[in-house]
Amino acid sequence: MLGFLSARQAGLEDPLRLRRAESTRRVLGLELNKDRDVERIHCSGVNTLDIEPVEGRYMLSGGSDGVIVLYDLENSSRQPYYTCKAVCSVGRSHPDVHKYSVETVQWYPHDTGMFTSSSFDKTLKVWDTNTLQIADVFNFEETVYSHHMSPVATKHCLVAVGTRGPKVQLCDLKSGSCSHILQGHRQEILAVSWSPRYEYILATASADSRAKLWDVRRASGCLITLDQHNGKKSQAVESANTAHNGKVNGLCFTSDGLHLLTVGTDNRMRLWNSSNGENTLVNYGKVYNDSRKGLKFTVSSGCSSEFVFVPYGSTIAVYTIYSGEQITMLKGHYKTVDCCVFQSNFQNTELFSSRAIRDKAKILIQVF
Amino acid sequence: MSRKRHRLVPETFGLKRRRELGDVEADPLRCESVHVAVTRCLRPGSAREAVAEIVRLFPRVLFEDALPPIALRSQVYSLVPDRTVADRQLVRSVRATNGKALSCFVGTSEKALQEQGEIRIVQLGFDLDAQGIMFTEDYRTRVLKACDGRPYAAAVQKFLASVLPACGDLSFQQDQMTQTFGFRDPEITQLVKAGVLTVRDAGSWWLAVPGAGRFIKYFVKGRRAVLSMVRKAKYRELLLSELLGRRAPASVQLGLAYHVHDLIGAQLVDCVSTTSGTLLRLPET
Repeated sequence: MLGFLSARQAGLEDPLRLRRAESTRRVLGLELNKDRDVERIHCSGVNTLDIEPVEGRYMLSGGSDGVIVLYDLENSSRQPYYTCKAVCSVGRSHPDVHKYSVETVQWYPHDTGMFTSSSFDKTLKVWDTNTLQIADVFNFEETVYSHHMSPVATKHCLVAVGTRGPKVQLCDLKSGSCSHILQGHRQEILAVSWSPRYEYILATASADSRAKLWDVRRASGCLITLDQHNGKKSQAVESANTAHNGKVNGLCFTSDGLHLLTVGTDNRMRLWNSSNGENTLVNYGKVYNDSRKGLKFTVSSGCSSEFVFVPYGSTIAVYTIYSGEQITMLKGHYKTVDCCVFQSNFQNTELFSSRAIRDKAKILIQVF
Repeated sequence: MSRKRHRLVPETFGLKRRRELGDVEADPLRCESVHVAVTRCLRPGSAREAVAEIVRLFPRVLFEDALPPIALRSQVYSLVPDRTVADRQLVRSVRATNGKALSCFVGTSEKALQEQGEIRIVQLGFDLDAQGIMFTEDYRTRVLKACDGRPYAAAVQKFLASVLPACGDLSFQQDQMTQTFGFRDPEITQLVKAGVLTVRDAGSWWLAVPGAGRFIKYFVKGRRAVLSMVRKAKYRELLLSELLGRRAPASVQLGLAYHVHDLIGAQLVDCVSTTSGTLLRLPET
């Protein structure tokens, strides 16, 4: 490390190399943090977390009781032991609170003035952060499992919504109505994700074992259906053209958007080339997954070999993405982990994870 | 959580890697079939050696040499430490996604075993994941011996001569068989009767091993029996040396070592390394 610093100073090394090496070292040293904690506001499980992309300072969490809480992650006290305080929350007494469990929350990608939340009460609500009032509501016919807004979009403000019906709905924030529907899946949509590289490319994962890539400008259907056998018909016919042998639960693009990771209830995770939909056949082994709804997992960014953090039962399994090697299992929760988010700002690299059923609301895992 | 600094850390910083002393402790699972006294038993680095080692463990006497020695894909995963590399060495189409990360692995010029025609992969019916691997030579000799003197011998010989070298897949389609290889329907029926093909659905067949039914029966029973041995142990964990030292129950015909490799590779048990050796523990989930 000192060698790296002096080489950087002398100009022998590229500055990016030092940054990557240090990020990787920090990710490899991730452990349960004993000094930091998150204030417990939720009485029941926490389903979803999101950290704002602008500063990495504020975190939203959505719970099974419909409550949404906003935390400030910055440690402005001089103490090492610090509890992240909740800045504000949409509690049960709020007139516009969700009736049922909140499944997904997401910050508006460009600033923290707005966030969106979707819930089992068949609505997608758009909130103004400063006044904590609803700016808009989108109603659907079925329960909403997941929604996502593109982090790189400049020409559109579409929110992709996956519901229990087989159609993916795209809602436009500017006009306040659903602009179009993507047809192609046959069962409920468990996860949606926009590509971080191209603003019109969307990936969706469904319970019918299929994952599809769409260009939302194209009217005639999906671009690619991901096929785990890459077109070879030598496997069982019922698994033809499917991404997994069970429901496809979770989707995550790598930070450069060139590859896509999917997890399924067949206890497998697969890495796909997002430009041609080819299964790269990297073998991660058994990635235990029995979640009946979506599983939210995350990837690191800025390391020399990227890592993926997947909830695995009551632990979080860390794998290198491109070689499939399992690095470690992060233990800290007592029951099943539902969701984790990663941030590598400030001086710390942090991974937040949350639980679905009634145990600790959140445990913060941080490197020192 | 593993408290040791992971080996990737010095690699990231470009430090010189400390020379590894190797496993001085003779791992009973690896050394069982090696008769030469060696001070250290290394895991076979390549898939071919892994398949050869499992083939050595296979009990030929049990099947009166009528069955080619079958290794399972999960057993290869237990012997080759990196699964993606094992996949690539077995089957052709695993491509390097990130050249930097995989640069230390096998170069792309080496052909996979299935591509070379050295091994055949066969779908064993009981599980979508379970695939059997055997050397092509073994398969060919056994099948010829099995169909010797029977009415379908001619069709089988034609199949072995023309289809096997040409097509390395696990299954065959109707149009492939009739047009490319020139098989007529009665000949295909004879192949199914001989046990070389198994019907998958209308117009497609799996490649099969004649007489493999007994093997699959023993295998499923034995797997369940070994798993229950671990389950019945106190705290649901067993030292590997202790497990191998126990007397095999009656339902385990294929050998404890054979089944243990399969359980480790299929991740039905967790392998924990302790100071007393490898420990097999049932996963909590």
